[in-house]
Amino acid sequence: MQPPRWWSPRIGALLLLTLPTIAWADDPPPLRWGGDKAGGAPFIYEEAGGDVGFELELAKFLGQKLGRKPEFVQCDWNTIPEVLERGNIDIALNGLEFIPDREQKLPSTIPYFVYSLRLIVKNGNDSIRSWEDLRNPKGAKYKVGVLAGSFSERYIREAFGKDIELLPTKEVDETFELVEAGDRLDATIQDSPTAIYYVQDGRRPKLKVVAAPIDAGYYVILTRPNDGELRLQLNAALKEALISGELERIYRKYNLWDSSQERLGYLHLRPWPPGAVVDSPAVEGPKSGITLRSIADKIALAAWMTVKLACCSMPLAILIGIVVAVARMYGPWPIKAVLTAYVEVLRGTPLLLQMYVWFFLVPSVVRYLGGDELAQWFSAAPFYVGVFGLAINYSAAEAENYRAGLQAIPKGQMEAALALGMSPLTAIRRIVLPQAVRIVIPPVTNDFIALFKDTSICSMILITELTGLYYQYKYDRDLVLQLALTIGLIYLFISFPLSIVAARLERHLAGGRDKS
Amino acid sequence: MIAVTNLQKSRGKQRVLDGVSLTINRGEVAAVVGPSGGGKSTLLRCLNGLERFEAGNVAMDGMTLEAGTKTPKATLLALRRKVGMVFQQFNLFPHMTALENVMAGPRYVLGQLRLEAERTALPLLQKVGLADKAGSRPDRLSGGQQQRVAIARALAVKPAVILFDEPTSALDPEMAAEVMAVILDLAKEGQTMVVVTHSPEFTKRAHTVHVLERGRLVSSGPPR
Repeated sequence: MQPPRWWSPRIGALLLLTLPTIAWADDPPPLRWGGDKAGGAPFIYEEAGGDVGFELELAKFLGQKLGRKPEFVQCDWNTIPEVLERGNIDIALNGLEFIPDREQKLPSTIPYFVYSLRLIVKNGNDSIRSWEDLRNPKGAKYKVGVLAGSFSERYIREAFGKDIELLPTKEVDETFELVEAGDRLDATIQDSPTAIYYVQDGRRPKLKVVAAPIDAGYYVILTRPNDGELRLQLNAALKEALISGELERIYRKYNLWDSSQERLGYLHLRPWPPGAVVDSPAVEGPKSGITLRSIADKIALAAWMTVKLACCSMPLAILIGIVVAVARMYGPWPIKAVLTAYVEVLRGTPLLLQMYVWFFLVPSVVRYLGGDELAQWFSAAPFYVGVFGLAINYSAAEAENYRAGLQAIPKGQMEAALALGMSPLTAIRRIVLPQAVRIVIPPVTNDFIALFKDTSICSMILITELTGLYYQYKYDRDLVLQLALTIGLIYLFISFPLSIVAARLERHLAGGRDKS
Repeated sequence: MIAVTNLQKSRGKQRVLDGVSLTINRGEVAAVVGPSGGGKSTLLRCLNGLERFEAGNVAMDGMTLEAGTKTPKATLLALRRKVGMVFQQFNLFPHMTALENVMAGPRYVLGQLRLEAERTALPLLQKVGLADKAGSRPDRLSGGQQQRVAIARALAVKPAVILFDEPTSALDPEMAAEVMAVILDLAKEGQTMVVVTHSPEFTKRAHTVHVLERGRLVSSGPPR
């Protein structure tokens, strides 16, 4: 065998191939545009043949007019503005609403779409027919899902406030599934393109659009403040798209062209961005006026939810962990094999994924296999799913802790107990386990601290705990920094004393052993 | 009372017990002696089912441990209830006080309530001279004290016979003497016991001495 050489004719040829890109550095750079394909229909999404969507076609048109090759960059919808600020994309083009207080940081182009808000419920739901019906006078508040971080979330929060239970969701598909389930969400509010594509056009036949649309605002392209020229070019291209009928052609293809788009012509003639007072949308007031003090009760509730999640799931995790550890140590081999698999699967897969499986996948699989009635049993309230998911995930870690603890107990202890005449189960319960439990107190305490922080995952399944609360207000630029700090401090204030306790226990136990 | 017939056991290629037969009568004090590795402890551990064996059987009061078959759980538990054991390394339960150690049998084997178990345990601690240590954890006791607690613990379920597995080997001479005194007291009271030991002082006072070498019983009889 020859020693490998890093230099070879082949690598030389490869280097040569890259030369042209360097040589033609004067070529116009690509137009990197950020969006989110996940649940992105009809904006941008994947089909068997490749990417499609009305914004994809718009981006192609813009790229053509600007003489730059459009290049799609996949982002998480919630963080597209941040990605733009960081400079990983040139423009943000993905159903981003015109929000006046965002202008200074990320100035917008003229609008390219006029959207409205649509109310969607399950077929056969006759109790919600209008927007006003959302304020359920009798009985429990309606659970309404809204895309987290969207302008509609903000609008609904302000318009309906305490009259509904607002559940910010991450993905459109999941939201629809939760409404279809019947009992998990009573309704959802979506932007018109989503409502038209999925519901009106029959892709979600179990759902229907009710009530009149609410005029909400415009989609705009966001840019960085310094890119003034780019904005001018984009504005010119957008105007051309409208006048030439290209925009209408694209929108008609997706069944999105309606009379409200005619307002675009009027808007394109006026100075952009409009002054503080506009002829516009149902939402008024650029400032939300929300302060830490005004949401103190919500922060307290979210902190309480975090504590509840941690304190309910950890004992369960310990209980399951002990049973698994004992069975793995003393049980017959088939049980040992099954439980080894249990531990490895749970330790080897991410908690976030597991949570999604429990919350979204399991109910829909059960519904598919066993029908709605059976599925009811598996679509528990988010809080219970959160506790269950955390407990199951951490039970694997606890099982390993307790197994190590059991193994550390000298064999003589078991023998002495058996020789006294105890049954094996009694011996484990009264003699071996109490000692093992003591030994593993420090690692278990450490796990509790980790679990305490992992409760943040529950924000992905509609639970408003501390991290979820942060997501809900992160659009508010005045508030977000204070909120992040406050929430971080709350986490710290709870977990820090716990780690002191853990360290002290560890020292105490180590000391205790030295004396003997 | 205990009849051991043709006991055989191997570990790997080595024969640990090679056809051992002996009987222990009620009230008998039997010593098992012999060089290290001769199979003494293994023999003892076969008597209460802590070890399995390949051939032969152990019979006691109508209960039999049979080679090759799995002894029914109930039989095993009943047999162990009648056969107490004291270990070389004491094996006290470190998470319990001396008193709780002695109460463990009454509570978790005989099903006595706490108060009742305490009434059983305290006199036994007194008997081994450790009533004042009732509230101490094992790590606060000397080796000799720990072994005396272990003896009290074994006595608490009123076993018909007690197996002592080199009870004084892990102790320095002074402590060995105090433990030996307790064992000899028990012997005088007529407690049936089988003692694996190197102590000549004990061997002298035993009724029967069994000499075990390389897994074989080379002699059985009164001490010489």
